[in-house]
Amino acid sequence: MTDVLSLSDIHKCFGNVVALKGADLSVGEGEVVALLGDNGAGKSTLIKIVSGVIEPDRGSIAVNGSPVRIRSARDAMALGIETIHQDTSLAPHLSIGRNLFLGREPVRLPWLGPLAPIDFGQLRDAAASLLRRVGITKSLTAQTPVNALSGGERQSIAISRAMQFAARLIILDEPTNNLGVEETRGVLRFVGEMKAQGHSVLLITHNVHHVLQVADRLVVMRRGEVVAQQAVAGAGVLDIEGLIMGVDLTAEEPALA
Amino acid sequence: MDAASAPPPARRSNPLRRPQVATLLMLIVVLAGFTIAAPHFASPRNVSNMLAFMPELGIIALGMCLLLTAGEFDLSVGAVFALGACVAMILVQSTGWAIGPSLAAGLLTCMLVGLVNGLIVTKMGISSFLVTLSMLLVVRGSSLYLTQGFPLQSYREETVFRTLLAGDFNLGPFRLYASLFWFAGLALLAGYVLTLSRLGNWISAIGSNRQAAIARGVPADAVKIGLFVLTSTLAGLAGMISAFRINNASPVAGTEYELEVIAMVVVGGTALTGGYGTIFGTVLGVILLRAIRNGIIMIGVPGLAYSTFVGGIILLMLMLHAGLRRAGEPGR
Repeated sequence: MTDVLSLSDIHKCFGNVVALKGADLSVGEGEVVALLGDNGAGKSTLIKIVSGVIEPDRGSIAVNGSPVRIRSARDAMALGIETIHQDTSLAPHLSIGRNLFLGREPVRLPWLGPLAPIDFGQLRDAAASLLRRVGITKSLTAQTPVNALSGGERQSIAISRAMQFAARLIILDEPTNNLGVEETRGVLRFVGEMKAQGHSVLLITHNVHHVLQVADRLVVMRRGEVVAQQAVAGAGVLDIEGLIMGVDLTAEEPALA
Repeated sequence: MDAASAPPPARRSNPLRRPQVATLLMLIVVLAGFTIAAPHFASPRNVSNMLAFMPELGIIALGMCLLLTAGEFDLSVGAVFALGACVAMILVQSTGWAIGPSLAAGLLTCMLVGLVNGLIVTKMGISSFLVTLSMLLVVRGSSLYLTQGFPLQSYREETVFRTLLAGDFNLGPFRLYASLFWFAGLALLAGYVLTLSRLGNWISAIGSNRQAAIARGVPADAVKIGLFVLTSTLAGLAGMISAFRINNASPVAGTEYELEVIAMVVVGGTALTGGYGTIFGTVLGVILLRAIRNGIIMIGVPGLAYSTFVGGIILLMLMLHAGLRRAGEPGR
């Protein structure tokens, strides 16, 4: 099976700070991979490289087996990689509809380029059907400004945006931060639905329980490197937490692998 | 969150809650007030006078509105207002260039100023407040040096450019200038761009949450640089219109226009911190501030206290917007 995404030997420095030193990561088709690690382990840097926010100093990226360069967010989206960032995904002053299509507005007269008029009818219809799909129909329309929404509703909007563009790979960066219990459940249910529809998901999280619930495989990073990966099935909370914290587990290693 | 049973208030964007509606009401009150208090305020002659000068600031305000919506400032517009016309007139008078190419060169100089502003702000990451404040001094100094401090006699010959920029005609009892049509046309264009086009969506998104816009593939730096160039160009154009109208290109023209223009835009309801802008509100703000300046003199406020009143009215307007915004926020 070809991997949807495969990163090898990724290096990245910010001045004197080495953020990534030879990280490898792969995500298979229809696979849910959880990326774990303490703060500063390099998870965010790795995600930013995949979503086109920053470029690596060294290393190679392949999408569906063919090598690619991801220089901008546009490149990443064109490759079918949709990233849902923690809090920064939406523009609060803009309406839901305008946010859903930000950067990819449906237009009439496309030859006008950036000056082309937005097709608001299509935007409204698409937004309404999406809101129904993610189950937040109550009192929300495409015209509702995002700053009138709760944290969970905002997360749902960001998620529905990724769904709509039928991404090959959806990256969720700490999607359950600041969310209530019900909203968290919604996000985890969404991960399951994505998997069922054949999308691959890369889930960055601190919450080991969520990993056990939805992930197929877990990858642990420490100080800029991937230090462990294993199937989730059969793993326990304590094993995983040990891996993240870097407690010496040499004795148990064979049992885990 | 909202109570489950009651229909949630303020979830839909209520059009009447928009800040430009408050500006419109304020404008109506102000116009009505001055008309009653000062009989000459609504006379054709006074209205013509107001309409002659208003577009010159209004044209700059359109660019400033888009720039503020994207979350940036331009304090150099007043200086650029003088620069474009001075450069053009110097070329005409001392090098013998024809008026057309001279005007083009003047506008090009203004564009260059905007380009430098935009490049420094986006590529070096320095606040536009500081960059354009420095640029104000650079540009104003350049105009003074180029002209040796003396105003230049403007171009008096009747050419197509003069007619296009500062031609006038009588419509009934009113005397109207071509600049009014420039202002109206550019306002319609800017309104279209901001509310209906893709670019407008990008501009608002950049001002609202730049990281989110970039993450969606919006070319944020290019848009900002373009808006700096646009604002400078409009300031240069307005300066040329003014120079033709008063037959004089002065190196100190447009002094403090930057503050008046920003006040007009913000009074109209555009957010100073970016994310929300309204061209309709900006046009109202332009009319409102000019009407206040004119009307305050007509009702006989002592000349020396004049600024106090203008400032006070602007403050009142801003407080009104802030109050409305707070009332419009969801109760969480």
